[in-house]
Amino acid sequence: MESKVAKLKIKPKPFLFPEFCKGCGRCIESCRFDCITEGTEINPETGLTPVNIDLEKCSGCGLCVSACPEPFGLHLRTVDVEEIDNDALEGVHSFQEMVDLFDKADYELEDPSELFGPRESEAPDPVAIPDEWLPLAHHEPLVLKGNYASAVGAILAGCRHVYGYPITPSTEGAELMAKLQPLMDGVFFQAVSEVATVNMMYGTGGAGLPSMTFTSSPGFSLMLEGVSYMVGAEVPGVFVNVMRGGPGLGNIAPEQADIKLACRGLGHGNSHAIVLTPSTPQEMLDLTMLAFDLTFKYRNPVVILGDGYLGQMTGRVKLPDRLKKPGIPEWAVYGDLEHRRNLICSIELSEPVQEQHNIHLNEKYAAMAAEEQRADLFHTDDAEVLVVATNTPARMAKGAVQELRDQGVKVGLFRPITVWPFPIDLLKPVLEHTKRIVMVEASPGQLEDELRLALSKAGIQPPIIDHVRHYGGILPQQSEVVEKVLEGEEVAQ
Amino acid sequence: MSVSTFYDRFERHAQGEGLKGHATHYCAGCGHGLAHKYMAEAIDELGIQDRTIAISPVGCSVFLYYYMDVGNSQAAHGRAPVVGLGHKLANPESIVISYQGDGDLASIGLAETFQAAQVGLPISVIFINNAIYGMTGGQMAPTTLMGQQTTTTPRGRERVAGLPIRMAEMIGQMDGPVYVERVALFGAKQRVKAKKAIKKALQLQVENKGYSFVEVLSECPTHLKMTPLEAEKWVEENMVPIFPLGVQKDITEEITPELEFKPFKPSFDVEEVKGLIIEGAENGVERFASAFPEHIAKDDISLKLAGAGGDGAQTAALLLTRMAINEGLDSTHIPSYGPESRGGTSYADVRIAKEEVLSPASPTPNILIAFNAPSLTKFAPTVASGGTILYDSSVISDPPSVNGDIQMYGVPFTEIATTIGRRVIKNVVALGALQAMTDIFPEETFLAAIRQALAAKCAMIPMNEEAFQWGQKAVREGIEGE
Repeated sequence: MESKVAKLKIKPKPFLFPEFCKGCGRCIESCRFDCITEGTEINPETGLTPVNIDLEKCSGCGLCVSACPEPFGLHLRTVDVEEIDNDALEGVHSFQEMVDLFDKADYELEDPSELFGPRESEAPDPVAIPDEWLPLAHHEPLVLKGNYASAVGAILAGCRHVYGYPITPSTEGAELMAKLQPLMDGVFFQAVSEVATVNMMYGTGGAGLPSMTFTSSPGFSLMLEGVSYMVGAEVPGVFVNVMRGGPGLGNIAPEQADIKLACRGLGHGNSHAIVLTPSTPQEMLDLTMLAFDLTFKYRNPVVILGDGYLGQMTGRVKLPDRLKKPGIPEWAVYGDLEHRRNLICSIELSEPVQEQHNIHLNEKYAAMAAEEQRADLFHTDDAEVLVVATNTPARMAKGAVQELRDQGVKVGLFRPITVWPFPIDLLKPVLEHTKRIVMVEASPGQLEDELRLALSKAGIQPPIIDHVRHYGGILPQQSEVVEKVLEGEEVAQ
Repeated sequence: MSVSTFYDRFERHAQGEGLKGHATHYCAGCGHGLAHKYMAEAIDELGIQDRTIAISPVGCSVFLYYYMDVGNSQAAHGRAPVVGLGHKLANPESIVISYQGDGDLASIGLAETFQAAQVGLPISVIFINNAIYGMTGGQMAPTTLMGQQTTTTPRGRERVAGLPIRMAEMIGQMDGPVYVERVALFGAKQRVKAKKAIKKALQLQVENKGYSFVEVLSECPTHLKMTPLEAEKWVEENMVPIFPLGVQKDITEEITPELEFKPFKPSFDVEEVKGLIIEGAENGVERFASAFPEHIAKDDISLKLAGAGGDGAQTAALLLTRMAINEGLDSTHIPSYGPESRGGTSYADVRIAKEEVLSPASPTPNILIAFNAPSLTKFAPTVASGGTILYDSSVISDPPSVNGDIQMYGVPFTEIATTIGRRVIKNVVALGALQAMTDIFPEETFLAAIRQALAAKCAMIPMNEEAFQWGQKAVREGIEGE
């Protein structure tokens, strides 16, 4: 009780370290007793001119303190009686006497780190809550549209946050999510635009939870700014882009002309993401689930490129044998004590630190390239002609390869499942006996560009490369692929 | 320090070395520091430091995260409120502050600003309006006053550059927000109000009342080229007449417990999730076929169903795909529509394979079902040798001639359907005809799939079964229509 009395005797008074005063003078006007005046001496440490304070008339009202914009500027100094000998307080009657006593008893004024303590934050070191996999009993195959299959895959991967802006031909994904998510206390939120969509994903991804969107080419263009921020800030999220005809508004028919964007143009800066290209409704489910694993594994967005046909195509889809209950990674900004220390951010003004960050990103890209190449090989063991295609065109190509094999032609199909990283390691052995490549694409050679770049980087002299290409929503047909393969001189007729 | 929501040392400000460890990066007299301080004090007073997430914007306050010892997320220019919504929806227990300047909130981020406000989820938006762009170096802001000189309005803001935008008034007009106020930082009285308003904005979020918006008129002495005290005076004399202070909207009292936001947590219950996924996608039904219908094609059958939108070609195609998958086969269906939702062209390709559908397209179908004359004319020549064509003889009176090895048969789909009672079930009549004509699957397979598809509309089943049987009968007994 005695200590309380001692504390009450001395009203807290303002105190200022001159080096933390920028001399703005907001405090001067706030004081009714004119205790504070404009400074006259430049502080040698800061080059600024701090205010002068004379506490003779100070009433301790604190208005100057709430006028000071600096966190470590003017503050009211109180005496912590725990730290000061009570006896010493006897005979202390003015604030200055208290300050003198306090300074003697406690700390050096010149060393703010001692005054304010060495810690940055009291928050504990963040910890990860791990994912859980729960077994799913066997079930007969479902009959699902590609877009629905992807939505089901996302739900099974633990995604309960879906953001989107409706765009044909991807809308079924959003619609199914809008129906199912609220029933699981999940979220489907129709954002004001694709720009808002990707930034909502940035928020939820930053909080450490899985999130996704369904979009189509023009919408994907709009999201790219946000994708760059997600890459920079290392935020996970899954983008399903059901590609349609372009450029511009184009049409709503299938195309593959966003391979360039997804592989080479994910917004500004040094950005890459794993790009998965399914070919069947089953793969729409499987690769969506995989995408969620990969996006958290690398803390980097993952893009699934489907085509308009695949989104609309209905097929047989088997469910996996488990589903995921996602945890919270240690880096997340979830909004709790355990993660209070964390920061999600893509700005770094220091050039050396920003360079280090890019080196770190490059290492991640290298790891993705080393570990995540995926492709499907069909009749490639002895193939002299290699058809290369992905998405729905790969199915036309597969039909063609089977038809040609039935005729005894040595032809195979190489179907990249990742177009970034391009599965060059899987292609290399096949090329040993390949005399000619036939690219089958619904784009003006964007997949071919990826292939050529991968060959060039691997130092491989490419064989002859022919192509079957269509644009504007027309897909290459099986008969065209057959014809193109048979054109080659190496095909023994 | 007394305010625990400020870091004790600003480690992120130049690694916390030297004076920067305890000083902000703001110019002398800048209003941001005060807004930060009132925010930090309010967080302290409300005891919400651990669950607060501050969204740093782009602009001078991009480094808000240097100072606030809370969860921090730094957003792209203008996107802070939707990044904030992403956080709020991820963890509804978190307290989200979207802190934005005038370029961020009132220019590049207008769409996000308005959506977040109108959605009205409980987040707190603190809007610093200083009538100029600070970080980029004194350019015009959307809130720059008429006649005000900036580096992009060197002659003063003229009419062609537009008029200053009044955000608090606009946000206050919207239905979503619960509390909107404009405050200022000049003079002790205004600062007390500013602090109170910021605290109230957070308090309303803690109470799950809804969205709140506090516009803070702030000083940028550097780009106004004034002393800090002159800048305070300038705000008072020039900004306040255009941006009047005070509460724009406050419906806090009207927010009854039923209207409050209810925090939620997603479910991961396996049975529940599985049930939801499988619901509508039906359970597997019995198999009726003894083998792949090799009499049509060896291991891969290709069908095309074509008509106008509303003919039911897609539904019939989807049913065929379902039947094949029910029978343990692989199957795909690809629709192709014209641009109109109703009445345009509508074609469907179906593939049914013993093992795996390779190409899902049907450029040369084994079976064509045509619901109108243009479809028949267009696709009859593509039918594979040995194939089958079924067409609606109610609407096609003059079928084209086809190769001799193609079976072509007209059934009055529409007439039969209309007689039964509903024109729209002509596609089911067509399926009945298809079954009788090709025996692609046993009758039971068709009927099971129809019942399955109509599980939610049981009353429709008898009429559809009747339509199916009439389709069969038409083929078997040669009903040609009128």
